[in-house]
Amino acid sequence: MVQAADDVYLALQRELFHEARLLSAADYDGWVSMLADNIKYSMDMPQRRFIEDKSNDRAPKKTPIFDDDMAALKMRIERFKTGFVWAENPINSIRHIISNVEVFETKTDNEFTVYSIMEVHRSRLDAERKRLTAGRKDLWQVSETGYKLVKRTATLDDGVVLDSNMNFFF
Amino acid sequence: MSKLDDLIDFKTGRQKRVIYSDPDIYEQELEKIFARSWLFVAHVCQIKEPGDFIRTFMGEDEVLVVRQKDGGVKAFLNSCTHRGNRLCKADHGNKKTFVCNYHGWGFGTDGALNGVPLEKEAYYNKLDKGKFGLIEVAQIKNYKGLIFATFDEEAPSLEEYLGEMKWYLDSWLDAMPEGTELIGTAMKVELPVNWKLPVENVSGDGYHLGWAHAGAMTVTSSLTVGGLEVGNTGTDNDGAVSVAGLNGHTVLAALDGQSGYGFYPDPTIPLQYLKDNRETVIGRLGKYRGEHLWGSQINLTIFPNLQMLPGLNWFRIYHPKGPGKFEMWTWAMVDKEMSDELKQMILDNVSRTFGPAGLFDNDDGDNLQAITEQSRGWRTRQMDVYTNMAIGGEQTRDEMPGVVSDGLVCEQNQRYVYRRWLEMMNADSWADIPNYNSLEEARATEGK
Repeated sequence: MVQAADDVYLALQRELFHEARLLSAADYDGWVSMLADNIKYSMDMPQRRFIEDKSNDRAPKKTPIFDDDMAALKMRIERFKTGFVWAENPINSIRHIISNVEVFETKTDNEFTVYSIMEVHRSRLDAERKRLTAGRKDLWQVSETGYKLVKRTATLDDGVVLDSNMNFFF
Repeated sequence: MSKLDDLIDFKTGRQKRVIYSDPDIYEQELEKIFARSWLFVAHVCQIKEPGDFIRTFMGEDEVLVVRQKDGGVKAFLNSCTHRGNRLCKADHGNKKTFVCNYHGWGFGTDGALNGVPLEKEAYYNKLDKGKFGLIEVAQIKNYKGLIFATFDEEAPSLEEYLGEMKWYLDSWLDAMPEGTELIGTAMKVELPVNWKLPVENVSGDGYHLGWAHAGAMTVTSSLTVGGLEVGNTGTDNDGAVSVAGLNGHTVLAALDGQSGYGFYPDPTIPLQYLKDNRETVIGRLGKYRGEHLWGSQINLTIFPNLQMLPGLNWFRIYHPKGPGKFEMWTWAMVDKEMSDELKQMILDNVSRTFGPAGLFDNDDGDNLQAITEQSRGWRTRQMDVYTNMAIGGEQTRDEMPGVVSDGLVCEQNQRYVYRRWLEMMNADSWADIPNYNSLEEARATEGK
């Protein structure tokens, strides 16, 4: 894999940080403007399997937590906008922390593979605090209006989701 | 009257909040309910070949469910008989031998202790390996693809335990010739909630749909179940029923034969599937179930901790982890005959509506957590909560078994769930637990 040039690396890191700030502020219209129309947005969680396990063909396919196109993402966003999502009122504190950013060239000139690690901190009600981590692999594309996220594949690190809702994006 | 009797009043629909927070009550639940009930442990599709296994829980006890060489199924405590270490850490897989990580004791898929390191040198060949096999459950049985197990030798047969609930279960499990299968892996979520709260919620609480899920209902839009609409205003419940009085098992059902697919962005494909196969199902289940139950939105609760929603196609079990915590495992369950396209559509929909980031599921956690927390304070835990809606509406209907009330907005089912809870908590053995499957039997056994 070929490392992207420094200016591309800086530009994409800037995009990731900007995106994280929009997501933490629940500015979903701003976030959607960073996504390509054909966005493929997915997340799954690990299965605990023996390394030597031979039941691969019989083993079930992993059920995704998210497996969304633009229409599905917009449905989630519309739900937040209804004003009926009681769990998010009062507004909860959330921080999206992005780290370990690496940017690589792809076979296509204007597309880049971006790896990163995301840590989400949520603070709700009184002393309730949750911390979720996930690894992300993105495909970003240069368009006329700047960089757009085309594809994100993430894996949550926990085998059991340790929060009672995922009223946020990662 | 036992001390426990004051916790539940079946007639008036009252529960003491302490049942959601008290550690002593929880300990009794593990013994009197989870150790005596038939609990779901695996779907046959999860363990097809000899050596295939699933790691799961019966109450707080961890068990391995293993397909045998002769095609049978056994379930064992997932604990080495030497020093008690966890035997298997994988969620599922295939094994010829389960070897303990601590000292290397090896157990066959039949649970027999086969290998002991230094058997000659350290045990002088005097270890009676026949006495150290894995501990099996007392009974294990398959009902139309669902494998249940119990730790209680005295428990009635699974058929008797399910009783007339089988009539409703079959409207999914036995509707199509090839039966059902789970697709995808379990979506697992840990919630800081007492385990009974999701059970009562899904068993009978149609009341919360329009309000708690107003946001999700608005964006998925097409759902109108039994006249219930966004905003809690629709209580015209013709065409929907709450059914209980089935040994603690309950049913909440729309009767229109298709509403379950109203949540789908494009219901065309599932509705076509129903249309193409309805005659087959009528042939197998008869006209009433074929027309009114199959394809409808239905909540099925098998006491104490298994729930399935044909129509939305989700299948869920709750594993208790203390009075204020449980793990929820959710799968998509489908008819085997469905096309790959439809199966994928169902899997996507189950994940999107009732997965860890589900549009609907994400509304319930905070409410149920708050109820758990509001049952802990010195003053709040002495207080009551109520399921006193539609008292006196219980009927018998010729076309279906059990105690039937009109509509989905009705708390009859929760009252019966808590009645069963109390019956099991009070009983010294299965001989003291009443058996009822109709209004007449439910009345005759009330308070006995």
